[in-house]
Amino acid sequence: MIDFLSSFFSSPVMQAAFWPALLIAVLTSSMSMMVLAHRLSFLTVGVSHASLAGLGLAVTLSLPLLPTAAITAIIIALLLAAMPNRQGINEDTGTGVLFAGSMALGVILISNANSYEVDLFGLLFGNILTVSEQDSRWITWGSLFVLLSLIMWAKSWWSMAFDMVTAKASGIATARLRLILYGVMGLTVVMCVKLAGIVLTTGLLVLPAACAWFWGRSMFSLWALSLSFSLTGTFAGLMWSYQYDWPSGAAIILMLCVLFMLSWLSSWLKQQLSEV
Amino acid sequence: MSTPVVHLSHIRFGSDKKPVLDNLSLDVNAGHFMGIIGPNGAGKSTLLSIIAGLNKPSAGHIDLFGKCLNQNTRLKLSKDLGYLHQAQSKQPDIPLSVYDVVAMGLSSYNTSLFRYMLRNRKQEKEQVCHALDLVEMTAHQHADFRQLSGGQQQRVRLARALVREPKLLLLDEPSAALDSRHQEKLYQLLRKLCDEKGMTVLMVEHDIAAITSYVDSVACLNKNIHYHAKKGDTIPDEVWREMYGDHVNIVAHDASCIGCAPVSHSSDHEHHHD
Repeated sequence: MIDFLSSFFSSPVMQAAFWPALLIAVLTSSMSMMVLAHRLSFLTVGVSHASLAGLGLAVTLSLPLLPTAAITAIIIALLLAAMPNRQGINEDTGTGVLFAGSMALGVILISNANSYEVDLFGLLFGNILTVSEQDSRWITWGSLFVLLSLIMWAKSWWSMAFDMVTAKASGIATARLRLILYGVMGLTVVMCVKLAGIVLTTGLLVLPAACAWFWGRSMFSLWALSLSFSLTGTFAGLMWSYQYDWPSGAAIILMLCVLFMLSWLSSWLKQQLSEV
Repeated sequence: MSTPVVHLSHIRFGSDKKPVLDNLSLDVNAGHFMGIIGPNGAGKSTLLSIIAGLNKPSAGHIDLFGKCLNQNTRLKLSKDLGYLHQAQSKQPDIPLSVYDVVAMGLSSYNTSLFRYMLRNRKQEKEQVCHALDLVEMTAHQHADFRQLSGGQQQRVRLARALVREPKLLLLDEPSAALDSRHQEKLYQLLRKLCDEKGMTVLMVEHDIAAITSYVDSVACLNKNIHYHAKKGDTIPDEVWREMYGDHVNIVAHDASCIGCAPVSHSSDHEHHHD
């Protein structure tokens, strides 16, 4: 075991992946609470898939991948935030439409690009082990921005999730903060794509808080638990990936699913025992 | 004469063909406890949401505490306002203690994490416990809000609306889900807050019989104020009929409450007020 850990931590690839993986684990643990509280799981699916259009544009126009995808994802998330104000289209339908349309655009753009320019498997399923220095810088700045947003507005977002109408009546600028939340969510999704890929990103943005949901009793206890689950899942998943040569994103998501099952099972057992 | 806490002038809301509220004017003074009644779709909840700044009227003018309510002043004016909307059928699935739900009503809660960490915890605790005490929920302060009954949740929501000691309290069917004992206690509490703290209360209720002894006046609403009955007044027969059709029959009253004139016709659905 000690040999394995020593080999894992001394591996140059893992050393390069450590910092971005740590940042994304912190980021997703925090944002996943908002995803669950505001019931935005489908939105994260929509935005992550829609980011393929941004990646397609970046490949076609030779633009930097992550920044272009980030801008596209933020624009799409903001469009979705504006949806409920448009009569006849609810957020669910809007997400479905934008998700399918952007994904189709992305597929066409990428299929026309030179195949050697695009790591399609990496885009779809993520690969933190191939993170470049430029990606790492992007993830660092993006994470700082998201964490700063959380410091500023997490409490208001929490109040809004509990009761949007009362939050607005009590003086919270709900319309503006909702737009910011969706924009920050779009940015977070794109940063997770590097780790888990378009297909699996939603897992990172749902599972940490879902594990914590059984145990937390306040925003801070949920946050601490969500962070613990996220860090455990991410690094245990990376170890799995290293040990068995599995794709890193899939290994992390699978580990988080195992943690979710354990958390749910323990909560169920606790409930059964308390009723005896 | 003192400035009214709420001044509504020629308010209109909704489409031109089918307005929800039309040419509604109303003044409410400080310390006044007003009941608002009316049939379904009369615009009662809309009226409260407009006063709370949640909806913007298509025409008319609103002053709260002597200041014009608009996009620029809404956030500032809302600091002195408590609002309890109709109970939702879909409950939020967020793990929160009763204490946290009430604390959400404080402006010190909805701030950045830095400022939240530096808040006056002792003062917060006093305010939250006092609000919980008013609705008799202190014993449940550590309970998970989701585990409470509908009536208990409603009382916690009321505590949340009261926690910042607002000058104006807007309540939309606050007695929904409350048992008769807690309904009466609620009206007694509101009466006390108006008399002792000078709080102004606007409360939408369907059961006029339950509130007449406590309120200072009753506004009969059906797109606009059809009749504004004060203590000792009788709500005329035609007002009832206009609001509820023929489904009303009644009522005895004295100078300490509000009643309405007897109606001779019979009905399958009768409202009895005494």
